[in-house]
Amino acid sequence: MIEFKGVDKFFGRNHILKGVHLSIKNNEKVVIIGPSGSGKSTVLRCINRLEKIESGDILFNGQSILKQKQSQLSTEIGMVFQRFHLFPHLTVIQNVMEAPLWVKKMKKEQARELAVSLLEKVGMGDKLNSYPSQLSGGQQQRVAIARSLAMHPKLMLFDEPTSALDPELVGEVLQVIKQLAAEGMSMALVTHEMGFAREVADRIIFMDKGQIIETGTPDDLLSNPKEERTRLFLSRILH
Amino acid sequence: MNLDYSTIMPFMPAFIDGAWMTVKLSILSLAIGLLLGIAGGLCKVSESKLMRNIAFVYTWIFRGTPLLVQLFILYFGLPQLGIRLEPFEAGILGLALNTGAYCTELVRSGIQAIDKGQMEAARSLGMSKSIGMIRIIGPQASKIMIPPLVNQFITTIKNSSMVSLITIAELFRTGETIITTTFRSFEVYTIIGVIYLVINSLLMAVAHRLEKGLSAHDRV
Ligand SMILES: Nc1ncnc2c1ncn2[C@@H]1O[C@H](COP(=O)(O)OP(=O)(O)OP(=O)(O)O)[C@@H](O)[C@H]1O
Ligand SMILES: [Mg+2]
Repeated sequence: MIEFKGVDKFFGRNHILKGVHLSIKNNEKVVIIGPSGSGKSTVLRCINRLEKIESGDILFNGQSILKQKQSQLSTEIGMVFQRFHLFPHLTVIQNVMEAPLWVKKMKKEQARELAVSLLEKVGMGDKLNSYPSQLSGGQQQRVAIARSLAMHPKLMLFDEPTSALDPELVGEVLQVIKQLAAEGMSMALVTHEMGFAREVADRIIFMDKGQIIETGTPDDLLSNPKEERTRLFLSRILH
Repeated sequence: MNLDYSTIMPFMPAFIDGAWMTVKLSILSLAIGLLLGIAGGLCKVSESKLMRNIAFVYTWIFRGTPLLVQLFILYFGLPQLGIRLEPFEAGILGLALNTGAYCTELVRSGIQAIDKGQMEAARSLGMSKSIGMIRIIGPQASKIMIPPLVNQFITTIKNSSMVSLITIAELFRTGETIITTTFRSFEVYTIIGVIYLVINSLLMAVAHRLEKGLSAHDRV
């Protein structure tokens, strides 16, 4: 579904991604872990073209994303951000209806129906007319997931979806993501929740300093890391 | 004390004509200035270096020179180049260009005050940059821009008195004319002051309403 072919990314003089090769297959759930600044978010942001790459190529279903229109790409790839980025001037239901209305040119009733069903799915059916500022972080993130799903993406990108949440709100968001995973959604997730990673991931990728150091099944990578750097990182975060 | 407002009462129709001219000048130049400001502000945040440079030169010149000089160039200077503007045209143009330059900066800072994540979220949902600007950034930016824009509008309304110097019979010039026949400076200038105050108060009241309407999502 997604294939990175020797991707290089620079910010100014800083070499952020160094010849990254990786692939995500249909229905696969890939979790990316690694220390802060290792380039995890940048990998996700390159996939939906929030960042340009300097060399290499990224294929989406066999075609280079560099040649595709943003609108086309984004209907197939959804993104959920660490800090939600809900539209504060719109109500919950308007947040979800916005892209179907303005990108897909869907009829209003149809968009409303879609939004209601998605919001019910993430357990937010009773807050349709609230504004984001009236919701808890966990509720906002669930709305953000529904907003993204409204474009019927084939692949969902999650960038630390629970890092900005109070601990007691993490569970409700992970629950929604697990449900999506069970439904067969392809996913790339950056997270520090190792228990969750072990549970949903088909494969875990460990990144450090702009490179993929090691990749493997959760059991292999988390219990039996081959690389010294992976071991060091895991011992640090598991305490 | 020797104050006598009754001698100038017969001139009330003239005051009203002058005030009406001031209102017309203000509304037209504010409307054009605001459009220029929006266009200029969008140029300032554009990815195109050319657009940014054009906007930079525009604001640099019109914020860096006195309005009076701008008006005199438009009305007294341009005829030398074969461009003859009516006083009203020159007045509107000068006020609008000047207001537009200040509005450009306000629009730019309003747009830049919105979290980058908003446009990223819009883009990742498939919205084009222009739809994102219209549907997502615009409404949020306009809310925070209203107070500084109102300040700028008030300044423009007060500055409109300067077009009296290019022969437009607006409120201030009307007053001057009345003084030459009545010699009642204090009375006339206070009346003029009160009329400006009324016009600006109306503007502030409208802005207050607008601001309240736009902040529906702020109540918690
Ligand atoms: N817009 C930017 N301009 C300049 N440098 C950037 C930019 N975005 C990221 N970087 C740099 O790129 C590197 C990788 O950033 P990235 O956000 O991908 O890391 P990360 O692995 O997601 O880290 P974290 O766990 O802290 O989120 C960091 O060194 C960061 O400082
Ligand atoms: Mg990150």
